[in-house]
Amino acid sequence: MIFNIPFSDILFYIVAVFMIFAALLAVVSKNILRNAIFLIATFIGTAVLYLMLQAEFMAMAQIMLYVGGVVVFIIFAILLTSRLGEDYLSTPKSQKIGALFLAMTFLAITLNFLIQNSNLLKNVSNATPADSSLSAYGIRLLSYAPDGFLLPFEIISILLFMTLVIAITIAKKDDKEEK
Amino acid sequence: MILPSVTHPIGDFVRENVPNILGYLPEFIQPYIPSAEIATFININICMVAIAIIGIAPVPVLIYMERKVCAHIQCRLGPMRLGPHGVLQLVADIAKLLFKEVYAPIGADKFLFYLAPIFVLTAPFLNLCVIPFDKNLQVADLSVAIPFILAMNGFGILSTLLGGWASNNKYSLISSLRSGAQIISYEISFAMILLLVVMLAGSASLGEITASQSGHFWDWWIFKAPGLGILAFLMFLVSSTAELNRAPFDIAEAEQELTGGFHTEYNGMAFAMFYLAEYINLFTTSCIATVCFLGGYHAPTIGILAIDNILNYVPGIVWFLGKAFFVVWIYMMFRWTFVRPRVDQLMALEWKFLLPANLLLLILGVVFLAFGWILP
Repeated sequence: MIFNIPFSDILFYIVAVFMIFAALLAVVSKNILRNAIFLIATFIGTAVLYLMLQAEFMAMAQIMLYVGGVVVFIIFAILLTSRLGEDYLSTPKSQKIGALFLAMTFLAITLNFLIQNSNLLKNVSNATPADSSLSAYGIRLLSYAPDGFLLPFEIISILLFMTLVIAITIAKKDDKEEK
Repeated sequence: MILPSVTHPIGDFVRENVPNILGYLPEFIQPYIPSAEIATFININICMVAIAIIGIAPVPVLIYMERKVCAHIQCRLGPMRLGPHGVLQLVADIAKLLFKEVYAPIGADKFLFYLAPIFVLTAPFLNLCVIPFDKNLQVADLSVAIPFILAMNGFGILSTLLGGWASNNKYSLISSLRSGAQIISYEISFAMILLLVVMLAGSASLGEITASQSGHFWDWWIFKAPGLGILAFLMFLVSSTAELNRAPFDIAEAEQELTGGFHTEYNGMAFAMFYLAEYINLFTTSCIATVCFLGGYHAPTIGILAIDNILNYVPGIVWFLGKAFFVVWIYMMFRWTFVRPRVDQLMALEWKFLLPANLLLLILGVVFLAFGWILP
C-alpha cells in the first residue's frame, strides 16, 4: 500500500538516503575537492529538510552561509594549497578507528535518547507551528525578553565588528615596510 | 501537501480537472491514485517548462543585441551575411557548438569537469522562478525571495572555481581564483543594495516589492526616495556588472592575459552552457533591477488620465520586458564604454569605495524612512 504513505514522507526518505550517501562520500572520497562538493550536497539536503518543515528562511540561510560562504572559502583554501589531486589525504589507521568509535558513540547516544523519550517522536504533529517568516525572525531578533534576542544579537554584532576591524588592521600596509 | 504560493488560473484549472479525469479510471484502483499529488506534479512540470522557455528565449535576442550594439559602438555593421541583417548568424553558431565533441583534457578531474557546467546554470534558472513578470506570471512568490536570490548566486561562484580547477590548466586556475575573489567581494555590495530595497519596501518578497511601487512612474524606488534611489541604482549596476563577470570587470576572462579564463578548456555544449549561463544571468539580473528599482510590471503612468488609460491598456509583461531590455542595453553600453581595471584596482573599488558607500546608503535609508522623506 505504498500510495497510502503521505507524499511528504516519501520525499523525506528520498532526501534522507541522498544525504546519507553524500555524507558518506564526503568522508570516504580521496580527493579533497570532491569532499567539499559532497559536503555541499549534504548541505543542500539539509536545506530541503528545512523547506519541508516550512522554515523557508532557515533553508535560504543554510544555502547562503554554507554553500555560498563556508564551502566557497574551503574550496578557495584548497585551490591555494599545492599538491592537489594527489592522494595526499590518506589518514592513518589509528585515526580511522578513533573516528569510527566516536561516530558510533554519537549514534548510540542519539538512539538511546530517542528510545527513552519516544513520546517526543509520537507527539510531533500536536505541536503548534511557530511563525517562521522573515518578519517574525526580524521582530524576535530586535525585541527583548521574554521571547526576544536583542542582547545576543547586539553582542554578535560587536563580535563581527571586532573581526572586521582586526581583518583591516592585519591587511593594512605598514608605513615602514613601504619605505 | 504542498500548497501553491501564487493562485494562478492555469494552476487552479489543473488542480480542478485532474481528479475529474482520473475519476474515469476503473473502480478498483481508485483508492490508490494520489490525484492531488499528480496535479501538483503536472503544475510543477508546467512551471519548469515555462521557466525553461523564459530563460532560453531571450538568449538569442541578447546575443544578437550584444553583437549589434558592440558593432555600432565601434562604427561597424556587425553580422550581416546570414539572413537579413545577420539574424541567422546565431543559428549557425548553435549548430557549430552542437556538433562539436565534448571532451576533457588529459589529467583533468572528469567528474568535476562535467559538474561545473551543470552548476553554472542552476542560479540563473532558479532566480527566474521568483521574478514576477506580470501579476500572475510568477512561479513562486517566496516571502524570502531576496535571500533566495543571494543563496542561488553562490552556485555561480562554485561553478567558476570548479571549472577552473578541474580543467588542469594553470591559466584557468588563476582565472577562477581571480573571479572567485571578485564575485565574493561584490556579492556583499550586491546584497546590501538589495537589503536597502527590502528595507524601503518593507518586504523581501518580489511580489510585494513590486506592489509597493504601484502608481505613477515617480513611485518607482529609483525616484521614490529622492536621490537615494538613483545612487542605489547606479551602485547596483556597478556591483552586478562585477557579479556577472562582464566587461569592464571581466578580469576572469581577460583574453590577453589568461587565454579566455576558466572556460578555456571547455568546448562544444559544455562551453555553450557557460555562454548560455552568462546571458541568462544578464537577463535575470536585469529583471531583478527592474523589479527592485523600475517598478516591475507597472506601466509608467504620468498622472494624465487620458494617457494613463492607454498606457495601462498595454499588458504588464510588455512593460516588464521593455524595462528589462533597457537595463540590458545599459549593461551593454557599460561593456563597450569603459576600460578594464587591474585586479587590485577592482578590489580597491569594492572594499574601499562601494562597501563604505553602501553602509552609508543603508544609514541614509533609515534616515529617509524615519523622517518620512519618501514620496507618498
